[in-house]
Amino acid sequence: MRIRILRQKSPTAEPYWESFVYDGPRDTSVAGMLDHLNYHDDIVNEAGLKTQRIMWECSCLQGACGACAMVINGMPALACDTFLRDLAGDEIVLRPLTKFPTIRDLVVDRASIQENLKRSDVYIGSYQPVAKASFSHQYDAAKCLKCGLCLEICPNYTNGQSFFGAVFANDCYLVYARNREKSRDIKKTYAQHFGNTCSKSLTCMDVCPMQISTIASMAKLNR
Amino acid sequence: MKDVLVIGSGIAGLACAIRCAENNVRVTLVSPHPSERAQSVMAAGGINAVTAQCEEGDSVACHIDDTLSGGCWIAGRNAVTGLCVHAEGIINYLEHIGTVFSIDEQGKPRRRAFGGQSHKRTFFCGSSTGKQIVSALVMEARRHEARGTIVGKLHLHFYSALIEDGVCYGALLFDELHRKLIPVNASAVVMATGGQNALFGKTTGSVLCDGYAAGKLFMQGALLKNLEFIQFHPTTLETDQKRMLVTEAVRGEGGRLFYEEGGRRVYFMEDKYGPGGNLMTRDVVSREIHAASRDVFLDISFLDRCLIDERLQEARDLCLKYRGIDVATQPIPVAPSVHFFMGGLAVHLNHETSIERLYAVGECASMYHGANRLGGNSLLAALYSGRVAADDVCQRADARRRPSFAQYIAREERRLAAQFETQSPFPVAYMRDMLAETMHESMGIVRTEESLAEGIAGVEYYQSIAEHLRYDASTSAYANYSFAGILATAHASLACALARKESRGAHYRADAPQSHDDFAYGTLVSYDDGAYRTWLDRERAYEN
Repeated sequence: MRIRILRQKSPTAEPYWESFVYDGPRDTSVAGMLDHLNYHDDIVNEAGLKTQRIMWECSCLQGACGACAMVINGMPALACDTFLRDLAGDEIVLRPLTKFPTIRDLVVDRASIQENLKRSDVYIGSYQPVAKASFSHQYDAAKCLKCGLCLEICPNYTNGQSFFGAVFANDCYLVYARNREKSRDIKKTYAQHFGNTCSKSLTCMDVCPMQISTIASMAKLNR
Repeated sequence: MKDVLVIGSGIAGLACAIRCAENNVRVTLVSPHPSERAQSVMAAGGINAVTAQCEEGDSVACHIDDTLSGGCWIAGRNAVTGLCVHAEGIINYLEHIGTVFSIDEQGKPRRRAFGGQSHKRTFFCGSSTGKQIVSALVMEARRHEARGTIVGKLHLHFYSALIEDGVCYGALLFDELHRKLIPVNASAVVMATGGQNALFGKTTGSVLCDGYAAGKLFMQGALLKNLEFIQFHPTTLETDQKRMLVTEAVRGEGGRLFYEEGGRRVYFMEDKYGPGGNLMTRDVVSREIHAASRDVFLDISFLDRCLIDERLQEARDLCLKYRGIDVATQPIPVAPSVHFFMGGLAVHLNHETSIERLYAVGECASMYHGANRLGGNSLLAALYSGRVAADDVCQRADARRRPSFAQYIAREERRLAAQFETQSPFPVAYMRDMLAETMHESMGIVRTEESLAEGIAGVEYYQSIAEHLRYDASTSAYANYSFAGILATAHASLACALARKESRGAHYRADAPQSHDDFAYGTLVSYDDGAYRTWLDRERAYEN
């Protein structure tokens, strides 16, 4: 199996493609495959030349932390939650998420997610629930991994300067549902950084590892 | 204005940072990764508290008793009392900041029963309690960040503490992006760096928790405590990279443990302990699986598929996704795995370590759990410990002076630079795997004097190589420099287990299977230029 990876040695270096031959088990995840490639005395590329180990980020290895988000065969996904058996063809193409600055290889800097939530004051403060809010949707919304997959696939999200994406909309919903005193203000913030720009492709929902129904958040906040 | 440096942004670190910020102490909150990657998000079960609406017959005194007896009577009574008395306030606080608890008809947080406890007192958020608490704390920390009382910084690893004459004045952090050391001065430093998973390789937890910080501080003079007490979860599923926890609910719903012998199934837990055998405590089940010394399976294939789909969905999905096992037709291969560390940095009642102005909270501190931890007490301890440390930091006067560490920093910079210049690809990852193998063999579920002595010999050998190790420039710098600290934690753990010549809680010695009153104290371990010394805390200097 051939693995093509878009690599980068440092935040300022030029990216370059490098290919590897993978002969390990097929019944594993992309994360397992990456570990397998890295775990040798020397790591050699397809041409048989010694190269540097592939850097990627991981923590829980069971789809619960969002660390290993990357683009796998053109689709944003978690490496630990994507299995070789489910990928078509005999080549896997990996690249870092494109909407964030690359740090090294498949590791990106997603600080902008938290930064945008911070600068727009998205926090609950004090729990005063609105009547008839959906408990299960609040529970789902609070499971957001802040992994950035929804931003990667979004046709409206570019660099997070003004449009903040689904990750932002779902946190806004939590504030709306859990503090009625802030519900009016948070709707304005939401409209400014999400509602007014979102073209409703809803691809964010297709790639969300927590299957958060962003459209349910939108339905409440657009009202 | 006082300033505090909090290292680690899981639940304990966040709780501490927020509490300090509420008291107008300026907080720098550093971690390599955002809170969403912390092991805290993997804590599924719940959080214990006896509240005004508690189950009939329950009381704070019962919670204290359950915690002390679960810990086999070596946890500090004063510490545990504080934990249990403040649990209700913590639940109220979590509710106040908007944690999405599972709620009853009145909209109040619901409780459920949890193992090892006399009453139903575990509050929960579906099957992702830790994650839901992290989400709420992150929002609350964001509020303080927007006001500037908390300054969060990412991509920073702990390197060492800035200590002079037994007092901590800050820490050296390593910036992985720019590959340089960054000194941070502070009135106090709070460690919230999690447990020492890396000692054992694959565990149920995060690969980011490695025990380096505790080991490095130990080498800098901090005492460690109770490292021999490691909780194993009996039913985990092995995958290439980790061990996935198969929830106790599977046995709760009737799951049966068995092994095969001569073509027939032996239900060894039921044979030995009767019909309820599969639901014995974690340490008993783990030891029995270990004693079986053959492949053990957990079977629920006889259960109705609808029941599995309804109540055991999580376990069903996990087995199918990671191992292609359909639990409705096939048994699940299970084995015990390292799950939680009761030991860590020795701390006083205020969570200060043996180094003045250096605190430890959450799993990296040894407090409350004694020789074994109750389910639902770790999230409680993470939150409570963070708040206790914060309160102590807030009320104490700032250090009178701030010594210069310029010489020390320059020396460490030269050391690191020398490491980076080596080009040898000797993979530290191999060494870590060898260490994990040694630890499993010598300090697994069942230990003996012989196995522990062999383990120490093994780790001493790795330490002798580590001194001369050439570093692999193509992995992260942290992966390289952290290894010596991890080895120190490993060596100290083996020393603690060797010194405890009895069995108690999670520590089982085949050559000393009984508990003895002589050992009803915590174990302390110190480091002095390569010498590891252990003794029992008979004066109860810590946790009280």
